[in-house]
Amino acid sequence: MSANVVSMRDALYEAPGPKTRRRVKIGTAVSIVALIALLAFVIRQFYINDQLNPRYWSFFARWTTWRFLLTGFLGTLRVAFTAGIIAMALGLLLMLGRISSVKPLSAVCHVITDLFRSLPSLLLIYFFFLVIPKYGLKMPSFWMITVPVALAASGVLAEVFRAGVNAVPKGQTEAAMSLGMTHGKIMAKIVLPQALRIVVPSLISQLVVVVKDTTVAYVVSYPDLMQNARVLISNYDALVSMYFVVALIYIAINYATNRFSIYLAHRSGTKVISRTEENPV
Amino acid sequence: MAEEYAGPIIQMRHVDKHFGQLHVLKDINLEVAKGEVVVLIGPSGSGKSTLCRTINRLETIDSGEILFQGVKLPEEGKELAALRAEIGMVFQSFNLFAHKTILDNVTMGPVEVLHRPRKEAEAEAMELLARVGVAEQAAKVPAQLSGGQQQRVAIARSLAMHPKAMLFDEPTSALDPEMINEVLDVMVELARQGMTMVVVTHEMNFARRVANRVVFMADGQIVEQNTPDEFFDHPQSERAKDFLDSIKGH
Amino acid sequence: MGVAEVFTEFGDIYLQSVLSTWLMTAVCFAGGLLLGIVATVMRVSPLKPLRVVGDVYVQLFRNIPTVSLLVIFVYALPYLGATLPYRTCLIACVILIVSAFASENFMSGINAIGVGQIEAARSIGLSFTQIIRHVVIPQSLRTTVLPMTNLLIATLLTTAMGSQVPLKPPELTGMVNYVNSRSVAGISAFVVSAICYAGTSVVLGFLGNLLDKKVRIIR
Repeated sequence: MSANVVSMRDALYEAPGPKTRRRVKIGTAVSIVALIALLAFVIRQFYINDQLNPRYWSFFARWTTWRFLLTGFLGTLRVAFTAGIIAMALGLLLMLGRISSVKPLSAVCHVITDLFRSLPSLLLIYFFFLVIPKYGLKMPSFWMITVPVALAASGVLAEVFRAGVNAVPKGQTEAAMSLGMTHGKIMAKIVLPQALRIVVPSLISQLVVVVKDTTVAYVVSYPDLMQNARVLISNYDALVSMYFVVALIYIAINYATNRFSIYLAHRSGTKVISRTEENPV
Repeated sequence: MAEEYAGPIIQMRHVDKHFGQLHVLKDINLEVAKGEVVVLIGPSGSGKSTLCRTINRLETIDSGEILFQGVKLPEEGKELAALRAEIGMVFQSFNLFAHKTILDNVTMGPVEVLHRPRKEAEAEAMELLARVGVAEQAAKVPAQLSGGQQQRVAIARSLAMHPKAMLFDEPTSALDPEMINEVLDVMVELARQGMTMVVVTHEMNFARRVANRVVFMADGQIVEQNTPDEFFDHPQSERAKDFLDSIKGH
Repeated sequence: MGVAEVFTEFGDIYLQSVLSTWLMTAVCFAGGLLLGIVATVMRVSPLKPLRVVGDVYVQLFRNIPTVSLLVIFVYALPYLGATLPYRTCLIACVILIVSAFASENFMSGINAIGVGQIEAARSIGLSFTQIIRHVVIPQSLRTTVLPMTNLLIATLLTTAMGSQVPLKPPELTGMVNYVNSRSVAGISAFVVSAICYAGTSVVLGFLGNLLDKKVRIIR
């Protein structure tokens, strides 16, 4: 894995000769024209549908707009971090259960992990929003969104933790055993601390999934970023601009989170374990 | 190409190359005759690998010219591919195609580039694999072979193209010590059969035994070249003396 | 209401719902792969503008929450002169998002090949198209079986976003809402949908693992 993205991309091509250079120049020019045309088309669609009208955009210059969005964003953060912490704790427990030598416990944890990994978070949200209240249990909306998002994430995190434990070199355990440490002590003092350090970047990148899952908080009427944006839309009657801006905010947050996790991974010489690299369920 | 070309098979004239600020090849002039074995040695970073890789244009050059069989290297396209088909290349890291069996690695060139019937190509590939001593491994994939075996397959893959010359870019540097000789033996045999070879290596015994000429490089320049006996016993330049002393210390 | 009653009362529509979820998953995954290939070709092309656009495209669609994209398709596009049916909106959104992840998978498949094999292919005289056909594509396809299986399962889960728009028949998550608004099914509808999702995931995962064992490249 020495080649990074850029070098491999370039490795596919030879240093260009004169003919290739000419072709690349023409291709570049053509593609720029095509892209400009595409962009012009999009702007035109906005323009002819009066969506560039300042009245749809001017309220973004007001502090109150951003304050209200920020309040929503804090709601998003509250859900995301609470869910993240619950998911981490639960994921850790599920992983420990799964790798334990007690067969029934291991099997149960395995099944729960795979189950949470194979259910859409929305289905779990419906469970807490539609099903549980029918049995007379009323939860505050914060928990109706936070708990299902946490459950969905815990399955994935259990697998991330397991990958972390597997990444700790066998020699570490063997060395600890040769010192006469017990199984539990080895796990607690030697393996887990190293495994946790290995998975930090992966945990942070999983936050992106959690943040994405929180965006359906409007289902349970919890005031997150998306929900507050909907309120603003009805206040200002400015749907298009608002939905595009909110999308960009989410993209920016998630992009930054991803970059940060890659940066951490790079610095600590570990790898971001993403769901796509795990074994499928 | 009706007539057999009689001049030097490889000619490099006033070749210069930079990697950014770094001047890696400085006014290189080198000729390799048909059937000659030229060994390039020198400290790491002296430009010997780069020189080797410019001969089939895996590296481009900034100025000067390189001729193969009297014809300037094509810059791109079909002509360049056709030229490369005539020059074998063996890499430090073997570079076998990971998804193909050993046999398919060897037949890929003949079938896809030379358009030879698969049956025929396979028969010849088996002969070549037998010649380098890995015929039993034909159905395996590269990762199942040892480094030495993989490198011998890489040599067979080059030979299957019936190259007019072969380039060896540190062919034994990535090998465990006990595997170096099995690869060198194959190369010695090739040299004996009259293959034109340019070899970048740190194996001084090989150079002494097989080379017709040793070319010593330092800082992107050819510092001196001579017969192996002359070079190793009476190096002319200070750089060469220092270099030979430093490797004797090992 | 037990699971059995859910079947007698809603069996037909549940069957349609499962089939429609599977069909949408298949369409979205296939569309996502195709678009992912286009994005990947752009990202590895020698044309700088296409590379940049390909990179930006992937970053946009792998980071946007599905709902955020869905509301743009469903509610914003009509203001911009394009009113699409709900199902089309959903499928388009999922395809865009899946394509971004598919392209990331393809890119890491390409990266796993390594520069050396490309140089080796070049030095035996293979042309650019031959290298792409005989080395790059087969290797990157074979190394991406597991990631793509995971992406397929993720596609299945993403179609649950269909519960946020009126669909006929509803997909599996929307069914929970559908059943609960028509009877006091309680937990049963949830259980049935959950079993369908988990069962599908298990089967897909099993098939993916099987295929991976067959074609995996040992390195």
